Amino acid sequence: MISILIIEDDVNIAKMIKATLSIVGYSGTCRYDGRSGAEEAMKGSYDLILLDIMLPEMNGFEVMESIKSCGTPVIFLTAMQDVADKVKGLRLGAEDYIVKPFEALELLARIDVVLRRSEKTRDTITYGDLTADIGRHIITLKGQPVQLTPKEFDVIVYFLQHQDIAVTRERLLSAVWGYEFEGESRTVDIHVQQVRRKLGLKDKLITIPKLGYRLESQDSV
Amino acid sequence: MKLWQNIFLSSLLLMILAINIVSAAVLSSSHKMLLEREQTHAVNEYEFFSASFSNAVIYERLRADEVILSEEQVAEIASELFFGREKGANRAAVLSADDRKLVAGSGFDQIMELSEFGDYLDSYSPDPDTCQIRIFPVGNAHMMTVTSSMTVEGNDYIVITALDVSDIYAMRDRQRDFVRKVSIISAGIVSLILLITVIILLRPLSRLNIYTKAIAGGNYKIRIRKKGSIEFRELSGNMNIMADSIQRNAARLEKIAEDRQTFIANLAHEMKTPLTSILGFGDLLRIKKNVTDDERMEYAGVIVEETKRLRSLSGKLMELVALGGTETEMKPVALREIFRDLETAFSPQLSKNGLTLYTSCEEITVNADEELLKSLLSNLIENAVKASSEGKRIALNARHSDEGRCLISVTDEGIGMSQEAIEKVFQPFYMVDKSRSRKAGGAGLGLALCEKIASVHGAELSVTSEIGKGTTVSLLMKEADKQ
Repeated sequence: MISILIIEDDVNIAKMIKATLSIVGYSGTCRYDGRSGAEEAMKGSYDLILLDIMLPEMNGFEVMESIKSCGTPVIFLTAMQDVADKVKGLRLGAEDYIVKPFEALELLARIDVVLRRSEKTRDTITYGDLTADIGRHIITLKGQPVQLTPKEFDVIVYFLQHQDIAVTRERLLSAVWGYEFEGESRTVDIHVQQVRRKLGLKDKLITIPKLGYRLESQDSV
Repeated sequence: MKLWQNIFLSSLLLMILAINIVSAAVLSSSHKMLLEREQTHAVNEYEFFSASFSNAVIYERLRADEVILSEEQVAEIASELFFGREKGANRAAVLSADDRKLVAGSGFDQIMELSEFGDYLDSYSPDPDTCQIRIFPVGNAHMMTVTSSMTVEGNDYIVITALDVSDIYAMRDRQRDFVRKVSIISAGIVSLILLITVIILLRPLSRLNIYTKAIAGGNYKIRIRKKGSIEFRELSGNMNIMADSIQRNAARLEKIAEDRQTFIANLAHEMKTPLTSILGFGDLLRIKKNVTDDERMEYAGVIVEETKRLRSLSGKLMELVALGGTETEMKPVALREIFRDLETAFSPQLSKNGLTLYTSCEEITVNADEELLKSLLSNLIENAVKASSEGKRIALNARHSDEGRCLISVTDEGIGMSQEAIEKVFQPFYMVDKSRSRKAGGAGLGLALCEKIASVHGAELSVTSEIGKGTTVSLLMKEADKQ
């Protein structure tokens, strides 16, 4: 189980982050000021720290300095759009930053990237008869490899990583094709249909009207 | 035309003119003097000639022993008289007074040919008592003639002698040329000196010009060194004063812009915090497959709470903006009544927090907008409530002060604040204890709003505080005139 430390002075935001993490099965621990946050980071063993910049007692940059030695990856949460601040955070060794306000899935996506970079995410995901080896880029159905285009592979991996979450077309588009992709949501639909057909996920990868798609988890039947 | 060119040309012309006028006057007077001297000379010569002529005639008559000489004899005598002086410098002529014909003459041919001389002769009326002096230009020379008449042997004769005065005229011309040259050269030199002086004197002007351009170009820090004449020093001084005030104004505007920038940045930040919770929980409600009733209640509760915070923020902002624009209605307000209203309004909140509010009020009336004043005092009491823990007291006082003013104060026994915090406390969005204030639903705009209300009323707001002991916020405002 992946555990994440949330250092954020606004109680509601901390609560929201914790709830967001819980839907992908990560556990979250909240600290509401810089000092106790830094102490907790050194004490416990966390896979990731989400760190606000404007904190009482010690600000985020100071916390960053003091917890450098423990080597835990850090993502900054910032309400500022000031580039200088972002650069400062990244230079101090932060893995990434997220500008408030953010959507739940954006937060999860950033967390995933950072965790994968530090090899904390699972390399293979098993889903019923389906096994996806992300590292080797291979997907097997009942032991038989299935031919998928790279984009189709990315799409199914994204769904496997976000089971039981309603994924909008825009989100999928930006996660798989990138933000700069000027495609239409039609592209997404075609790929999802291909994935469904090739992997026999007709009942599991369901369409949510006006929103997008959701991959139902195995245990929730 | 530039100033130095102007000065140079006009002084040059003026100099030439002045020198010429003066020298012309001097030259003509000296010329006149020389001519007068020559006149005496010419008259002497005439008299000598006329005397020798009449002597010769008398001598001849005595020698010939005649009673009277004939005209022919007189003409002969005259011719003989001239015979010896043919080559002489002096010229003379004897004419018959009746028909103005030349009887005898020497060196007069050129003069006789002049039409002017002819006219002169024709208009001449013989008068033996006076000599007429005239000057005739003959070719390049000038002749001074002396004319008179005499009666010789019963006949009237006009006798004219001429004296060459060309030298005088030539001298005058020479002097005139010389003066002309000297005047041009000296005027040139003087003007050049003047020009250099002017350029040197005007040099500070070009310096001023450079500085002015620099200031106009946005370099407000630059100052002009005071140098040169008194006028330039004065101008430099005034330019510096101007630059000072420009710099001050620019700095003031910059400060305003900066404050506004900070205000907007802070506002954006204050809005993002509740927005993050709202967006996050809203998103969770949307994308999560199974949401339990408890979770839904919790998520929606946070959304509502944070939305209220945004509403309160926008309300305070609107108040702040409205204060700047709308006209406030000032009328006499009894503080005692306001205090009573406030006590009533705050009693539920106070009892909930376990606090006690003590009020004391002297008989005071102030000129104020009642709603605004209430809003100001409410804000102060709210701050006191936020800073106080259970069981503490809050005091609301009003008493007369000096100079027809009154002092209204709100005192608490709360957490207090540092000197550093007191300095920043009126800045919009500043919160002494952020998380504490947020929990109480504060946006950090209360005191900024209070200060604005105070300034609308011409009142002063001040804060004294000690950490752990409590805070007093005082409002010093003018009392209404007693009628």
